Formats: sequence, structure tokens, C-alpha cells
Amino acid sequence: MKQPSWLKKLLLSLLIPIAVFAVLEIIALVKGVRLFAGEDSWKLFFRAVANVTLTTFALSINLDSGRFDFSLGAVSMLSATVAGTLAQEWGIGPWPTLAIAVVAAALLGLFHGGVYVLTRIPPIIVSLGMTLFYEGCAFAFTGGKGVSLVTRTDIIGFSTIFNYILLTAIAVVAVIILFDNTRFGANYRALLSGQKIAVETGIREKGNALGCYAVSGALMGVVGFISLANTGSQQLSLNFGSIGIMFTAFLPMFIGGWIGRYINKRVGIMLGAVSMALISLAFARFDTASSVQSIISALLLVLFLIYLNNEFAILSKFRKKQKVSEK
Amino acid sequence: MKNMKRSICLILCLLMALSCFSAMAAGKIKIGVLVSDATSSEALAFRAYYTEYIAKAYDVEFIYSDELTDAAGEKSAIDNFIVNNCKAVISFSSFDRPAQIDQCDAAGIYYAVATGTLTDEQYEEYKDYEYYVGAIGPSMDIEFQTGYDMAAYYIDQGMTKFGMFGGGVPYYVDMHIYRAAGMLTAMVEKGGEGANYKGADNKYAIIGQIYQDGGIDTGKIGSLELVAYVGGYDFNDAWFGKLAQMVGTEGIEVILTVGSGVDVLGGFVAGSNVKLATVDSFTPAMGEAMKSGILDYMAGKYAASVGPIFVATYNAVNGAPIRDNDGNALALGQGFWVATNSEQFSEYSAVDSSNTDPAYTREIMDKYAGMGVSYDDFAAFVSQYSFDEIVALKK
Repeated sequence: MKQPSWLKKLLLSLLIPIAVFAVLEIIALVKGVRLFAGEDSWKLFFRAVANVTLTTFALSINLDSGRFDFSLGAVSMLSATVAGTLAQEWGIGPWPTLAIAVVAAALLGLFHGGVYVLTRIPPIIVSLGMTLFYEGCAFAFTGGKGVSLVTRTDIIGFSTIFNYILLTAIAVVAVIILFDNTRFGANYRALLSGQKIAVETGIREKGNALGCYAVSGALMGVVGFISLANTGSQQLSLNFGSIGIMFTAFLPMFIGGWIGRYINKRVGIMLGAVSMALISLAFARFDTASSVQSIISALLLVLFLIYLNNEFAILSKFRKKQKVSEK
Repeated sequence: MKNMKRSICLILCLLMALSCFSAMAAGKIKIGVLVSDATSSEALAFRAYYTEYIAKAYDVEFIYSDELTDAAGEKSAIDNFIVNNCKAVISFSSFDRPAQIDQCDAAGIYYAVATGTLTDEQYEEYKDYEYYVGAIGPSMDIEFQTGYDMAAYYIDQGMTKFGMFGGGVPYYVDMHIYRAAGMLTAMVEKGGEGANYKGADNKYAIIGQIYQDGGIDTGKIGSLELVAYVGGYDFNDAWFGKLAQMVGTEGIEVILTVGSGVDVLGGFVAGSNVKLATVDSFTPAMGEAMKSGILDYMAGKYAASVGPIFVATYNAVNGAPIRDNDGNALALGQGFWVATNSEQFSEYSAVDSSNTDPAYTREIMDKYAGMGVSYDDFAAFVSQYSFDEIVALKK
């Protein structure tokens, strides 16, 4: 089969974000609104790119291996709560606070993975339990008060476009290196394509699963810190109130999977996140009601899944029509 | 056989231990507390006052529900209170108040509404229920006035361009709608001749307009202007973007928030020239925000404001219910403390946060806890809710 040229691959990779941007620009023109209308808009866009990219990495690392994880939001919340509280007590700056959030979140992920590996309970059930446990821990850790750093201008000042780009770039490069260029990544991919054979060849699936949970946690630690620095406060949730964040990652994950046919899958996920960030920006700029946002997001996800599930049939029809018109 | 004997011994020991615990707890009055918010600073302050001060002062035990999210949860929590032999329920949850009252009445346990009120229609229906103690909290008129006073404070300073954070307005949270309506009414009344909000030029028309729209529109209100509005609690990227945009709106001078202003807007307001006004509680975090200039105006419920409804419930459980002169349940209003500078905030906070000498101490409440308390005396006590009045009561 003939492989598409690199230029075609590049164009196909950029197709979705460019198409999303074009559609939104047209709507913006019709509405008489500028999509990027100043620093706030750019900041929103790059923050959303960072948040969605990292959350989607964190979700897909385990979901690709069949491990559904509801605890992403709780890990993000608890790690930001721990880091924010220590930042308050020790007076440390944004980078050490970020480091604490990442380490704390990695440990929380590792603990989650440990519970899964030791108990062998289905991952979806373990993740539900861990979600409640971590939400409760965050509540107990602060006495329910959450964290308020609104007077810490150094931490709030971390929320710059440059830092969002830097964090996104570091995360993308780190995930590409870890999953595409290391033994751990090779084992991970081997386990994905056939766990039984991979285990029989000597790959330790438990160690790999623990590693995945730790990396996923670390990424959510960054997301937690971005949220903390953005508003200067970390509010708490109980009774699964934290799981909403993972649903922002589904569409970019599927888009990333599609783009991954033409370019590195992790870059594809980032481009999926760019598309979602554009949509988030449009929601804000068009002052879209939250109910309408939910409907649009759900519709886009369903439509994309319908396309993915029927792609062959749709493309066949399209090609037939093309051939008929050529004749 | 030996194992069986051991098991029986163990079970008997456990039963004895349980009986001892039950006997020890038997003297305490158990009160169930329904909460739909377990994490806000205000909710935590109320809880701390009940569990760390009142429970010790009056030898009562408070059993808290989980954070409730719907009417079914309220019903299930009340069932749990009944099973736990609670003598009364104090409710901070309002998904279905009529169902709560009916359920408690049927079970023969007292029911009271804290930090809120029933609607006029609901009160008419339940005021003569034997087990309905009543409601003490900010009435909708007080909520309206709180919003009105906040907006008027800035209009009187000559400010003309306002932003507004509507919190629960899109979810039809009554108190948020009334606070927002108060803000808009102040703008209409002080916005010069012909000022109106979407054609509405009085309190009732504005309240009706907000209920009709489920939101608030920006635009000119006479000489004043509502330049930006954000409602809801979406906590997603688009919502945070809207909040940041509101702070960055050209010419905006002050953002009036119906609640949680510092938590959602503090990070964006920091370093800007925009003033922030909110309704919240007197926590150290709010104190820091006011000291640093992020928060400029705060109307706050004080933790001990839930003391009088406890007294009324305690009296009812002890056979001395306080009823009005027609024998009806209580329906008393209670307002906020307003701080507009850091010194004032610190003064209020010192009283509010004390676990040993709170705003309503046992000494104050003992005057109204017991037999023979008249409705008029109790109503007069509740009506003295301003900081200065409470300080005077403590002397």
C-alpha cells in the first residue's frame, strides 16, 4: 500500500484543528466577535491546551491498557491541596510548589496502582474507591477549607502564556521519550498489543502498570497546580464531585487517535487538545451558556465516534462518488 | 467447641461494650443536621460552632448528613436520623423542604430551618404543624437588601461601571437571585431618571425578570452600566476564561458577587484596579484577601448565627416550644455583618472564629433556652443580629 507523503501527513494531522479554527472564525465573524481579542484570550487558549493535553495523556496512558481511571480529578485536587498548603506554610515559590504537586500526585498514582495490582479488583472499581478516598483525604487535610493563595502574587503570577507553553512542551516531549523511546515504553506497547505474549516474553506487567499510574498521577499534579495558580484557590469536592475533569479528555483522545495515523500519537493528542482549547475559547468569547456548551461537547463527541465507527463505509461511498464523477 | 465458646464470649463482650456506649450516650439529645454544602467556608464555620461549641455547652450530639445533592438524599438522611433516635432535625438543605417537614412530622421529630426561610406559601401551609419549629435566617427581603446595600455602597462613591458574578442564578438559587435583584434595583433607583433593567423599574419586576430569564443581561441602566456578567459554577476552561474577561473588561470599576467572589475571582482581581465585593464568611482567607486589597466589601453570615435556631429546637425537644402569639411556628429574619475595611473585618472575625467566646455564648442563649420563654422576647433577641448589638448582648 502506498504511504502518503510527509506533506500530506502533515496536512492531514493539522486538518482537524485548522477546520475547527476556520469554523469558529466564521461564527465569530458572523457574530462580530474577535476570537483572540487580547492577552486574556491567548492565556485562556494556552491554559486550555496545557490542561487538556496533560489530562488526556493521563487518561489515555491507562485507558489504552483497559484501565479506566475516575480518580484523575481527585489526584489533581489532592496534590494541589497538599502543594498549596505547604506553599502557604513554608512560603515557597511557584516552581517548588509545582514540584511538590507533581511528586505528591505521582505518589498518589503509585498508591492507586499498588491497590489495583495487589487486590486485582477491576480497575474501574478501584478507581471509584480511590476517587472517594482522595476526595476525603483532601477534605480532611485542610479541615474542608481548601486552599486560598489569592494573596500570593508569585504563585498567581505563574499563570503566563510562556509558562503554559513551556509546561505543555515539556509534557509532550517527556511523554514521547518515555513511551516511544525507552524500555518502559517498549514494554508498555508490547503489553498493549498482546499482554499474554508480552508477559511470557518476560515483561513485568505489574511494574509497568505501577509506572503508568505514577506517570498519569504526575501529569495530573501539573494540572492541579495550573488550576491552583490560575484562581489562587483550590476548592474541594466530595462524593465524586471531582470526576468531571476526565470527561474533557475523551474527545481529544479520540481525535488524537485519528491524527496518530499520520503523526506521533502524543502530538496528535496535543493537536486534539488544541482543537478543544479553540472550542473552549469560543465558548468564552461567544458567552455560551453552560447547558449549550454541554450539548455541543456531547454532540461533537458522538458525531466523531459515529464517524470513526463508520469511517470505512463513509470513505468508500465518497470514493465511489469521486470515481463516478471522474468517469 | 472451644472456638464456639470463645466466639460467644467475644460477642457477649462486644454487646456489653455497645450497651455501655449506648448508656453513656443516652443522656445526650441527638439532633440530625441536613447539609447540601459541606465544603464552603460558611458551612464549615456553622459546623464548627455546632460541634465544637454548642455540643459541649448543651450536651447534645449533632449527627451530620453527607453532602446532599437531591431530595431523595434528604429523605434517606432523615430516615437515617430517625433510626439513630434523633429528636430533631436542623436543615441547611433546601431541595424539598415540604417533603422534609412532612417526613419529620410523620415520624414525630422536630424540624427546623437554619440560615433560610420558607416561602410565604409554604409557611402558611406548615406554620401550625406541631413538629415544625420554624425558620431563622436571612429572609428573601434581607437577601435582597444585602445585594442592594452592596451596589449602593459603590454607586454612592460615584462608580458607574459594574461587573456581576451571579453564582447560582442560572440554577434558580433563590437567595442568589434576590441578592442580584437587589444590586440591579439599586442601580435602577440610583441610575437617574428613566433608569430600568430590561424595562423593569422596580424590585418586583426585576425579580420577575431574572426568574423569567434565568440569567442577567449586561447593558446600560440609566447613567450606570452593567458591563459584564458571569453566572454558574462550571469550573471549566471556558468559565474561567469568562471570569478573566470580566475582570479585563474596559472601564470596569467593581465586581459585585452574590457569593464565593474571592474563591472564583480572587486570582484574576489580584494586581488589577478592579474592586471586589462579595457575600461570604469571616474566614482567615477572606481576612487576608481584604488586607491585601483584593476584597473590598464583604457581607458575611457569622458562624454563631445558627445559635438561635438551635435554642428554638432545643426548647421544642425539651417540651417548651416557642410559638408566636397565634401558636404558629417561628419565621424570623436575621441578616449579615458587613465589613468594608481590614480593621472592621479583623474585629468581626475575632468574635466569629472563637470556639470559647463566640458571638452567641451559652450565657446569652441560656436566657432563652428553657421553659417560659415568650415569643416576643425571643424575636427581639434574634432581631439583634448586628455586630454592635451582639457585643452589647455579651456585656
